[in-house]
Parts: sequence; structure tokens; C-alpha cells
Amino acid sequence: MIELSHVSKQFGDDTAVEDITLRVAKGKFCALVGTSGCGKSTTLRMINRLIEHSSGDIILDGQAIEQYDPVKLRRRIGYVIQSTGLFPHWNVARNIGLVPRLLKWPATEITARVEELMGVLGLPVGEFAHKYPHQLSGGQAQRVGVARALAADPDILLMDEPFGALDPITREKLQDELAKLQARLHKTIVFVTHDMDEALKLADHLVVMRDGRIVQQGTPLALLQRPADPFVESLLGGLERGLKQAALTRVKDHMTSLGPTLPAQSRIPADFSLRQALSMMLRDHCDRLTVVDQGDVPIGELSLRRIVKEAQLDKVSQRDA
Amino acid sequence: MSLIDALPSPSFKRRPWHPNVVLLCLSGAMLAAAWLLSFVSVAPNRIVSGTAFGMVDAISWPGAALVSLLFIAMAALSSVPTSRHYRAMLGIIILILLLMPFGLMVAGHWLVDPSLPQARLGIGAAYWTVLFVLLLCLVELRLRLGLSRWWPTLLLAGVGIAWWGCAALWLDRLALVQEFQAREGQFYQAVGQHIALVGTAVGVSVVLGMLLAMLMRRYQRLQKIAFTLLNFLQTIPSLALFGLLLAPLAWLAANVPPLAALGVSGIGNAPALIALIAYSLLPMVRNTYIALEEVSAETLQAAKAMGMRTGQRFWQVRFPLALPVLLEGVRITAVQAIGLTAVAALIGAGGLGTFIFQGLGQAAMDMVLLGALPILILALIVDAGLGALADALRPGGQE
Amino acid sequence: MTRNSATVSLPNAPSIQWFLPLIWVALLAMCIVGMPLLEGLFRWVEPDARQVVYDRAAFYELLGRHVLVVGVAAVVTIAVGVAAGIAVTRERGRDFLPLVGQLASLGQTFPPVAVLALAVPVLGFGTLPIIVALMLYGLLPIVRNTLAGINDVDATIKEAAQAMGMTPWQVLRHVELPLAAPVILAGVRTSVTINIATAALGATVGASNLGDPIIAGIVNGNMAYVLQGALLIALLALSADSAFNVYQQRLRQRLSAS
Repeated sequence: MIELSHVSKQFGDDTAVEDITLRVAKGKFCALVGTSGCGKSTTLRMINRLIEHSSGDIILDGQAIEQYDPVKLRRRIGYVIQSTGLFPHWNVARNIGLVPRLLKWPATEITARVEELMGVLGLPVGEFAHKYPHQLSGGQAQRVGVARALAADPDILLMDEPFGALDPITREKLQDELAKLQARLHKTIVFVTHDMDEALKLADHLVVMRDGRIVQQGTPLALLQRPADPFVESLLGGLERGLKQAALTRVKDHMTSLGPTLPAQSRIPADFSLRQALSMMLRDHCDRLTVVDQGDVPIGELSLRRIVKEAQLDKVSQRDA
Repeated sequence: MSLIDALPSPSFKRRPWHPNVVLLCLSGAMLAAAWLLSFVSVAPNRIVSGTAFGMVDAISWPGAALVSLLFIAMAALSSVPTSRHYRAMLGIIILILLLMPFGLMVAGHWLVDPSLPQARLGIGAAYWTVLFVLLLCLVELRLRLGLSRWWPTLLLAGVGIAWWGCAALWLDRLALVQEFQAREGQFYQAVGQHIALVGTAVGVSVVLGMLLAMLMRRYQRLQKIAFTLLNFLQTIPSLALFGLLLAPLAWLAANVPPLAALGVSGIGNAPALIALIAYSLLPMVRNTYIALEEVSAETLQAAKAMGMRTGQRFWQVRFPLALPVLLEGVRITAVQAIGLTAVAALIGAGGLGTFIFQGLGQAAMDMVLLGALPILILALIVDAGLGALADALRPGGQE
Repeated sequence: MTRNSATVSLPNAPSIQWFLPLIWVALLAMCIVGMPLLEGLFRWVEPDARQVVYDRAAFYELLGRHVLVVGVAAVVTIAVGVAAGIAVTRERGRDFLPLVGQLASLGQTFPPVAVLALAVPVLGFGTLPIIVALMLYGLLPIVRNTLAGINDVDATIKEAAQAMGMTPWQVLRHVELPLAAPVILAGVRTSVTINIATAALGATVGASNLGDPIIAGIVNGNMAYVLQGALLIALLALSADSAFNVYQQRLRQRLSAS
């Protein structure tokens, strides 16, 4: 559990970060979003003491951060950066096993753990273990970076724009995999990005920063429904806000039970998003959809009118099943 | 609102005090050297080595106090590094440099027995150390004040002239001066020979180097052969190359009279010059090649797009932009040549090396000094001068 | 410069360059042992001299002393140069960085002959002054390359290493030095190769080494002597240089293709 309380950072006369107060509950995914230079990376790096904060308190698991030995602290926190920072003179297996080796795990345990992680991150051991970073593609290298961060099984994971240097397709793939990984592992993640869609997709808790201050924080849905000021609204896409909000809600939360009329032609699975439903309505030129379950059995109905009306109501949906 | 908010914000710290550690250490080192090492040595004649004297014996308590005061002042000034203080330190350094001959004068007056005509004063380790460390301080100050290389060079030149004046007028008890006066003509001749050899060798290798580099850029195969050959030449010790040229040149001189008339002979300038040019070629060619090669391709493309012909592009764009790097190459080559010319004295080429080797042979260290010191000073001047020129020609200001 | 095609090979195949140092060393050994056999050749060069093969001291003895002098200077210079380069790139030592850079550069501005001459009154005749002169002259390539190598290590990699929880010493040992090693090695190579040639000057101050035949040859006008000395030194230099080259290439193969 991470808690920042009125934290500030000065570099000489320059204030990089001011009066940051935020709380990340255990097992939750917190995204720091903002434009370049807003202090999000600085905030992240104060958590593992790569940068020492000037004032305020940072508390990790109930203890003030100053009480931890910085080196030991960092071995307990995973860190992933945009350029991966893999050691070019070590192969993949050795790179992943870095922190376990620093912690003096027995060699057999290290090998087992490396193989386990490579499996989880989709890197076949036989093919990749002996490759060197310069032989990997961007996506593969970043998978190794994530594996390295997870090697010692830390509770906290810090990620600084990890997918920023990848092409859109790889980026989306890795985002989905990260979401699935998080669903399994429930790490406490602090994730920095300037891509709002990425943050909306992955975060439990969203923090919008500007000029070193927090402008608004809350769940993605809360921000989408009530942005605090025009800046946040424009960050959230301005007019597109509606669609982004729709992307976050599930069809099954807005469907009505099957009525007496004939079922509609177009079918949509229950756990798809409202945004996909709207897109399907536009595509098929209809204003009603039949909601089906995994077995393709109709279980309800969804109408355009209901979507538009219901969007006003505060229906918070569970993201995971 | 928690109590934390009530605490004063630590961000209002004053900028931490940061002394210039380098200058502090150097000042301390000089103070230690002045007190602990021998100041001067007095010898009854040329052959016997002298007895060493400390600072207090040489210039008595007031003198020692003055010297210590100056060093302590430097240390104090370096504790609070500001531009003003740096300039003050520069002033103190110049002062110390100007006072040095006076220290020798005073020591000579007190310690050297005037009834012994051969008695002489030798400069002690303390002097040399302080001189060297002052040089380092100058380097550091030049960097901190952001001065170009011209300033220290001019200042040192001025100091050098002042020393020359002092030496000529008052320091005839100094061993160095006595050696000099004993063979003044020879000395000037040697300096002339040395500079002539270096100048010729560097000049020729600049021209040859340019030609070779340009040819190598056009013909790729030549490049590999040329570099291999030149690299191989560098592995032969200079001494050997000088020696190896003796016989062929002697043979040439004996069998081809026109060459002998030109001055080619087995010993002396001919083999020295050839060897010097050979050694200077590698750094020159390599540097020129890289300098020409690394001019920004985009700039040249733009020039081409604007309609400049190959020749125009070369002389008006590539060459001027490559000039600073070229000058660096000339600098390295010249400094190397100054050292090599000293070795050439062994095969009769003259130059300042003759004093070094004669002195070594006679075990007269001051004669060695008479040869070695000017070589060092020459090397430093050429290095600083050409370095300043290269800096000045760098487009967009200094490095 | 054109890349030697022999080095673009499979990661596990030994490169052809391995043979080169062995060839040079073999030639060197042959000359040391078999110099008298070449008497005929030398007599052709110098028909009038009484003795054509240098025999005032055994060649292997001279070689041994030559290697000793260069070796001692190299070990000290590497230790001092690399340590200085490391010390000056740490947080606390940063103030000294410009000075150390300039100092090393000054070391090469002083001609070795002059340094040698000046070292004699202090250290006497013999091997000590030449070692000192070699140390001073060989310092620049090593210091300059150490500084360049360490500074060229990608800052994000260093930060990642710190963030993983490596102590500053571990970062130096496991990240900075291995990644800077090829560049530092290039500096050592330059330093040693130049010093092998420069060490010949030691013969003028009583340090008996492979420069002896050369000096003797110049003084007596005996070309054969000069040739013998030059040949041996050149072979030694080529052996050392090619050995370093092989080592450098192996290091480079381990790192990325940068």
C-alpha cells in the first residue's frame, strides 16, 4: 500500500512536483496521466527513492520511506522503463534473474523462476533464454523488462511509460496481457503514461497531473462522468468522452429482459462494452440488439434509447467478471 | 490538516556551500611542497652534486612567511568560488611566478660562497613541484573562468620574458644560467636547428598528408594499404628508424653526387628529416582523413543542391569545416615531432637533444636541463598555441 | 575503415584473427633463438664490420628486460589510469574531472626524451627513469579511453541498474566496467604498443633492453645491429598489438553489434 501525503520536490529553484496527496490501495492499479513535464515520472521515482522528495511523507506498507535502506527497498519494488534498460552484455535469462541473484537466491530457484516468468510473458525458453537484448524486437525486449521487474515477486510494480516506444499493435497486445497478468497477480501498480486511453483501459484509480500538481483523481468512470475542469475534459477527449465512458461499461449492466417482440437480428455478447454495442448499431443500421451469453443463447435486449438514457445514471460496473 | 503541515518546509535551504575542492587541494599541496621539499641546492662546481637547502634557510623567515601567506590566500579564495575570487587567484599565481626568480636571487646571494667562482645554485624539488602545480591551477582556472587558450598563453609568455630578463641580469649564480652562458652561441644554434627541423617535417607532412588523405578518400584500396603501412611504421622505434636510414643515405650520398651537393648525407639532417616525416605521416594522414570524412553529409548535400561543383564544395565547404580537426592533427604531430627531434640528436642532427645526451654522457645534470627544459616549454607553447587556433576556428564557438 | 570480413561470423565460430598473434610470436621466438643463423643476411647489409650479429648480451635477456620495463609501466599505468578515470566519474570526484583530463593530455605533450632526461637526476641511471617516462607517456590513452568508455554507457541502463537495487559498487562492477571494457582495452592497446617502441630510449640511460643493439649500431656505424634491434622490437610490438586485437574482437562479439 502506497501513500503520498503533501509531497513536493524542488530541483534548486524549480518546483517539479507540489503538494501531491494520493493513496494506492493494495493490489490496485493506479495510473498517473498528464502531458510531458507535468511531474508524473518524478512522482514515480520518488517512490523507489531514485529521487528523494523535498517535503511531505511517503509511506509504504505503513512505514515512512526514509526508514528503508534505499538499495534493499529497490530490490522489493519492480521497475519498468520505456527503453527497457536491459543490460546489453547479459542474455535474457541473466537479465531476468538479476534481482534474485542480488538477493542471493539458490541457483536452481533462480532458473526455475526465470523459466516460469518467460512462460507467463509469452517468451519460449528454448528460443529466448540465450538471446541478447540487441537481438530482440521492441515488444520482446519490453516483455523481458516486465519479467525482470517481476522476478523477485515484488508487491509493488512501478512502470514509467513502458509501452511508449512500441508500435500501436504491439502496444495494445501488451496492454491486454498486462491487464490479464494483473487480474491474476494483483500487484500494486503505479503506471505513468501520457496516453489517456491506455490509462482508462488499465487503471483502477486515475490521477491527472498538470504542472506538478494533481488536478483530479478517482476511478476512470468518475472522471469521465464529472471532469473537474476543461483541462481534464480535453484530456479525456472532449466530445469523445461519451464513447470512452461507454467503453468502460458492459452490455449486461444495461440490458433489459427479453420482451414479447421478435428478437433483433444483431447479436452482441453480454460482456462486450457499450461502445462496441453502439458501433454495432451504427454498422447494422438498427437501434436494438439481442444480448447473448457465451453459448450464443439470447438472454436480454439492448436498445439505443436505453443506452442514451442510462448513461446519465451513476451505474458503476465491475470491470472483471 | 496534520502536524506535518506545521513543520517548516525543508525546501527553503540555502544553496549548500561548495568550495572548489581541486584548487583547495592544489594550494595545500604547494604549501606542503614549499615547506617539506628542498628549495635550492648549492654545489661547489659542475661535477659534484650539491647540498640541499630548505625554504627557511634559503629565503629566511620573512620570505617563507610571504610565500606561505600567498598559498594560504589561494586556499581561502578557493573556499568560496566566485568569479571575482577566481580572478584574484589568477593574479596571485602571476605574482608567485614573478617572485620566483627573486627567491632564487636571494638564495643565491646568501648561500653561494662568492669566493668560489665555480660554485652554483641548483633549483630544488620544491620549485619544480610548485611550478608544476601552478600550471595545473592555471588549467583549472582557465576552465572555471571559461577563458580561451590565448589568455594563459599570453600571460605565460609575459612571465617567461620577465624570467629571461631576471636571469640575464641577476641570476648568474644559477647553474642553469652558467651552463647557458658557457655555450650561448651553441644554444641558440641548437634552438634554431630544432625549430627548423620540426617546422620542415611538420610542413612537409601536412602537405603530403593532405594529398594522401584525399587520394585515399577516392581510392578505397589505397586506404587499407596506406594505413597498414603507416601503422607498421609506428611500431618501429624512432631510434631504429633514424639508425636504419644512416646507411642507405650514406650510400646515396657517396654514389649520387647531386644529392650530396644538396646536403644529403649519412648523418645529420637528411636521415632525421626523412624519419621525422615518416613518423608524422600517420597521425597527419589519419587525422586529415577523419576530418574530411566527418564533415556533415547533410551540409554537403545542401551545397550540392544549391549548384556547387565538386571542387567548390571541397574548398568552400568541406575543407573549412574540417579545419579545426585538421589543426588538432597538426598540433599532435608537431608535439610528437618536437620530442622525436630531440632523439635525432643521436645521429648528429643537432637540435636541443645534443645538450641532453652530452649532459647525460658527462653526468652534468644542468646541461641536461638546458636541453630538456626548452623542449618542454616549446612543446607546451606549440600545444597551447595550436590548440587555441583550433578552438578559434571551430564554427559556433569553442568546445 | 573496411570491416574485416573474418569477424562477421557465427557467434561460436573462432575468428581467423587468432592465428595472427601466434604467427608474430613464433617469428619473434625464431629471431631470438636463430639470429646467428641469419648472419649471411646481415653480412650482405654490412660487409665491412667485424661482428654482424649483436653479441654483447643474449637476445632473450634483452627481450626479457624490455618486456619487464614495458610490463611494469603498463601495469602501473592501467591501475592508476583506470582508477583515476573511475574516481573522477563518480559523484564525489566530479570536480576533478576536467583537471584529470587535462593532466593526462599534458602527459603526452611532454616528450618522453625530455621526461627521461629529467628523471635521471632524481632516480639515477637504470630502468627506473625509463619506467617513469613510459608511465607518463602511456597515461593519456588509458585515462582518455576510460573516461570516454564510462561516459558512453547509456544513462538509462545505469538508472535501471540502480532501480533494480544494485549498490553503486555493483553498478560499477557489473554494468559500467563491462560495458566500457572494449573502449578501455583499446586505450591500453594504444598505450602498450607505443610504449614498446618508446622503451628503446631506455638504452641511453643505462636500462639495457632491445634498444641496446640500436644504440650500439648507431654509435659504431653498424647497420646490422640497428636492424636486429629494430626487427625484434617491431615483432614484439606486432605480437602485442595483434593479441590485443583478438581480445578486443572477442569482447565485442559478446556485446551488441554496436
